[in-house]
Order: sequence, then C-alpha cells, then structure tokens
Amino acid sequence: MTEAETDTENVPQSKYTKDKKVGEGTYAVVYLGVQKHTKRKIAIKEIKTGLFKDGLDMSALREVKYLQELRHPNVIELVDVFGTSNNLNLVLEFLPCDLEVLIKSKDIMFLAADIKSWLLMTFRGLHHCHRMSILHRDLKPNNLLLAPDGQLKIADFGLARGLGNLNEDLSSNVVTRWYRAPELLFGAKHYTAAIDIWSVGIIFAELMLRIPYLPGKDDVDQLDVTFKALGTPTEQIWPNVSNLPLYNSLRVYPPPSRQELRNRFIAATDKALDLMISMTQLDPSRRCNTSQALLHEYFTELPSPTDPKNLPKNKPNEPTVESNGNTTKRRKVE
Amino acid sequence: MSLGGSETAKKPYVSIDDLYRKSTQFQMWSFTKSALEETKKKANENGTKVAKQRLLNEYNNLKESNRTLFEQYPQELNIDTIFDPLTFEEEQKYLHFYCEKIITTADFFNMATQVKATAMSFFKKFYLVNSVMEYHPKNILYTCLFLAAKLEYYFISIESYCKILPKTEPKDILDLEFIVLLSLKFTLLVYHPFRPLYGFFLDFQAVLLHPSPLMYDVNVDKLGHLYNQAKEWLNKYAIISYVGFMFTPPQIALAAMYDIDKRITNKYLQRKYLREQLDAIKEEQDEKKGQDEQKHQDEQKHQDEQKDEEVTDDNQSLESQQRTQYETIVRTIVKCIRIAKAETQTSLQESKDIDRKCFFTLNPAKMMNKKIKKLSSGTE
Repeated sequence: MTEAETDTENVPQSKYTKDKKVGEGTYAVVYLGVQKHTKRKIAIKEIKTGLFKDGLDMSALREVKYLQELRHPNVIELVDVFGTSNNLNLVLEFLPCDLEVLIKSKDIMFLAADIKSWLLMTFRGLHHCHRMSILHRDLKPNNLLLAPDGQLKIADFGLARGLGNLNEDLSSNVVTRWYRAPELLFGAKHYTAAIDIWSVGIIFAELMLRIPYLPGKDDVDQLDVTFKALGTPTEQIWPNVSNLPLYNSLRVYPPPSRQELRNRFIAATDKALDLMISMTQLDPSRRCNTSQALLHEYFTELPSPTDPKNLPKNKPNEPTVESNGNTTKRRKVE
Repeated sequence: MSLGGSETAKKPYVSIDDLYRKSTQFQMWSFTKSALEETKKKANENGTKVAKQRLLNEYNNLKESNRTLFEQYPQELNIDTIFDPLTFEEEQKYLHFYCEKIITTADFFNMATQVKATAMSFFKKFYLVNSVMEYHPKNILYTCLFLAAKLEYYFISIESYCKILPKTEPKDILDLEFIVLLSLKFTLLVYHPFRPLYGFFLDFQAVLLHPSPLMYDVNVDKLGHLYNQAKEWLNKYAIISYVGFMFTPPQIALAAMYDIDKRITNKYLQRKYLREQLDAIKEEQDEKKGQDEQKHQDEQKHQDEQKDEEVTDDNQSLESQQRTQYETIVRTIVKCIRIAKAETQTSLQESKDIDRKCFFTLNPAKMMNKKIKKLSSGTE
C-alpha cells in the first residue's frame, strides 16, 4: 500500500515557502511564509505528528473540520491543507497581531469607536459560527486576531464544536478560565451558544477597562470573582441553577447596581452598558444572542464604529490616523 | 430548494439553504445519480489499472526466475488469464458488505449514531476516490470509525480500540489515518438527517396540532411514534445507502417520515406549501393521484426540473408556484426513498468469494506463487 502515500501529482508544499519559525505550541509549529503564485503572506501551522500515541491530534482535526466550512471575513481563513510525509500542514491567512497585544500596549489609546468596531467584527464572525451551529468555546482577546487591513478574525477552533446531535453531554471544561460563563463554572453538561456570548461580554469589558475583568486565580476563585462583580445567581434570577453539578453559593453577593457598573465603566454610554449587561446575564437563557447583539442600539448610536483600516495597530511609535469626523480624542478608557 | 423568488432581487438574509450550499458536503460530495455512478466506476477502473500494474511487476519477476515453467504453460500463465480484478458490481457488493460491518462494529463499541453515520460517510467517500483493489476495506473501515469517533467527540484510545478489534495493531490504523484524511480532501464535517428530523418533528406538531388538531386521529403521541420510526428508518436505510450523496439532510429526513406515514407527512407538506388553497376533499384526490403519478414523474425528473424553472420565471400566480414547489418536494423525497431502499444485500458466501479475489489482487505474489507451485508439482 504505497500508492497514495506520496502525493506526487501536485506537490502542494511547493506552492508555499516556510520562511521563519514564529511560534511553537504544544501541538504545532507555526511558520511565516508566502503563497508563491500570489505573493500573499501566509502562516503555516505544521501539526506535529507521531507525538501522539492516538494518531493525528484532535484539536488540529477539529480546527480543520470547522475552518473548512466557515468562510467569513471575520473568521480566520484556512487557505489550504496539505500533508508532507505524514505531517499535517494548515495554511492560514497571515494575521500579525491580536487584541490581547493591543490591550496590553498601554501607550495605544482606544477610542470608544475603536472598541465598537472590534466588538462589531467579533459579533459578525461569531454570528456566522453560531448560525452554522458551531460554538467556538475559547473566545478571548488572544484568539481575536487582527489583519493588516484592520479586520478582526476569530481564530483557534481547536476547542470548537458543532451542535449536531441532541441530548449528548458536552464537556464543561472549555474556555479559558477568565472568559468562562457561570454555567460552565457550575459544570453544566448541556449548554448553548450563550457561553460564547458571555466570553465576548467579558472581552468587551476588558476592552473598556484595559485590564482583565474577571481574573480568577483558580476555578474556585473564578466563581468568587465572577459573582463579586455580577452578583451570586439565585433560583430567583436563574431558575434551576441549584441543580447544576458544581453549584454552590458559599458567598452571596448582591447583583451590582446600575450606578456601580457606571462607576466601574466610566467611559461607557448607557447603550454600551445595556449591551454588556445583556451579554453577561448569569442565566444563559437571558443572555442576548448574536442577532440581538448586532441589532443593538449601541452599534447605531454615535460614535460610529471606526473604519477597520483606521483602527490602532501594534506600532506604538506610529501616529494613528484619524479620519472619522466624529471621533473624540484618543484616550485610555478606564 | 429555493422559494422560487426572483433571483435578481437582493436577498434580505442568508438562509439555511444558502449556508448549506456553501458547505463542503454540498460543494464537493453531492452528486446526481449518474455522476455518482460515474465516480464509482472511475474508482473501479483506476483500481483495476493499479492492480494490473502490481500483478505485472510480480509476473515479470517470476517469469524471469521460472522461465521454463512459463514456456511450458503459456495458457495457464498468461497474464490476461491470471488477472482477475473485481468487476464494478463486485466492488459495490463488497463495499456494501463492509458498510454493514461498520454498523455492527460501531454498535459493538456502543458508539453514538453520529459516529456511525460519519464513519459511514468517510468510508464511502474514501472509495469514491480509491478502490478496494488499492486499499483493503477492513482496515479502512476501522480507520474511518476511529477518525469519526475522534471528530464526533466520542474519543476512544487506540489501544483499547485495537484490543477489541480482531487481529488489528495500532499501526494498521494509524498508518492509514493520514491517507484517509487525504482522500477525504480534509473535509471532515458531515451533515446528517437526524437533526433535521427532530426539527420536522417539532414543526409537524406546530403545523398539525396548533392551534387545533388538523387530523382527527393525530396527536402528539402519534407524531412521537412517527418520529421514532423515522429515526429507525434513517438508521436502517439512509445511513447505509448513498442518499447522503444525492439529497440534502432535510430531504432525507422528510423521506423517512413520508415512507413511514405518507398520510400525515403529505398533510404537513400540503399545509406548509399549499396553505389554505385546498379543501379536505381535494386533498384526498390529490394524494391518490399523486401516488400513481410519482413513479412516472420520477423518470422525467430532469426535464421537469428544467421546465419548473422556466415556469417560475414567468409571471405566474403564487398559487401555482407553490403547487410546483410542493410537487417537486414530493417527487424528490419519493426518489430518495426508492434509492435508499434499493441497496442490495450481499450474502456471506458471495462476499467471501469476492474477498478471496480482492486478496489476490492486493497480493499478486501470493497468488502467483501458489499457481506456480501447483503447476510445477503437476509436472513432476
């Protein structure tokens, strides 16, 4: 059985160059390169094989599975997949920056319009995932990548999962801790796209605060931090919550008043606050969905979202261009 | 199935159908009946060529070392006499036998329907690209099932998997994993009819029971029973057949319901597409008439489809557009039922014979040596 082992017909790897190793993760090495015939910059994620006793890595396979179907301006593009001597290579579009880097660059000012623009693009991408019945399950600033033209792209679908079947148990051990929705913290085995909405809500808060909103030190602390900020869920505001496997209400915090939230998010308009509150409802069934979020008045009130190409980039010394007539001065929003 | 609206007008939103048309399942793995047949034939032809070349290599080697014997038996050792590839029909029967094996193996591991269905789809796709004369289906089957379990979130470790499979080492599967992936062209998301079926179950309730029941003998229990039987139908006919390569998942789900209970399903479809146009008596007649005509219409499906398009282009009344759409749907699902149920059974003996043949095409040296041994012992 040797016929198909070497794909000699149109050697796909010769279509790309692997120029520079830029990162190494647990299951992949990432190279920068160029798609030769278009001169387009690309990133090649070479999945390490042979490392896993159970064959091809599951995260990599899932990433391929979902990215093959998700084609959207705000979802990272899988340009190609090819194999070289039992190595799986994902050719992805080149995305030089991510939101986490920008949030941490304290010398870059975020305008309210910039935050709105990023949030809008995040929701557009996420709306596409959700209407395809795909949950991302690991949304965080680090996975929201930024293209040279300013477009935001949702990336890293290694934890994603389609909601294809009924009544099957899902793992609650998903999403990076700080962005994990309360139903996951309580160990829910059935959950919905609302877990992604929660994550985006926390990212929204982080964009405004410029520091992580709910930075729990461990899983137990995460519950405490979350409920300190947003109140402890009770049967009254979240029916049946006490039936969840890990439910506990060791410390009961009252829900925050509107004024408390206003004080915390000083620069947020009422509409911005409304949307954030709607995304961070403790009861997942009360959280808004992507359609409701996209139609929220926050996106239509002034200032208009910044044109992606004018969004701040990761070049601290370069003065940012302001082309929007209605923008205010760039400042840190906190 | 588009709603027959004008194509030039900008659509207000992206429909589920629009999204489905962009899926790899639709773009790369959906065929007309004849195109599918053609693809299978091509795989068989290719496999035959590969098998012939493989035999030829062995043949020439052996001819070199057994010159006298080959001269002595020009007839018996003629390459064309020796070469006995699987015919197209044999290959299809053989594959069908292994498709059934996927079900028994998956059931043995207590794997979910989703895993079973995805493995089945992977297996069939693999043999749309390759032939059993290139890769023996046994290990391909195990690899497809292993891969499907991984991708559908029912992971099983390779050790515990192989421990249970007869005479299978982890290497046998892991070495093929990448080859299967390559043949699948790295498209791994498969849409199955089970979720749409559940959707129809809910919509049947909405349409037929609310605000008040439309049929005197149909209640939620009856629909629940229909749903369960339709699920079994999908397991029995849809998964194992090739309908997933020719029809959309909702079409297949409707076909299951239609085949289980034509009266209820038809009522639903009429209610859905013909709205209030018909009174009860007329519906009864249509149903009868429809039955007789469906067979006839199927044959003309292609022409009809073209005609349908022409007709809808005209400024036609909404009523007749709906009528056309309704008829197209019924015609489509009836065709789906026929194809799903047409799959042939393969007897164990038959598959054993084919299996032998397949083994020799894959291992020509064994077969040649056996032949040579037999002939040379005969000369002594």
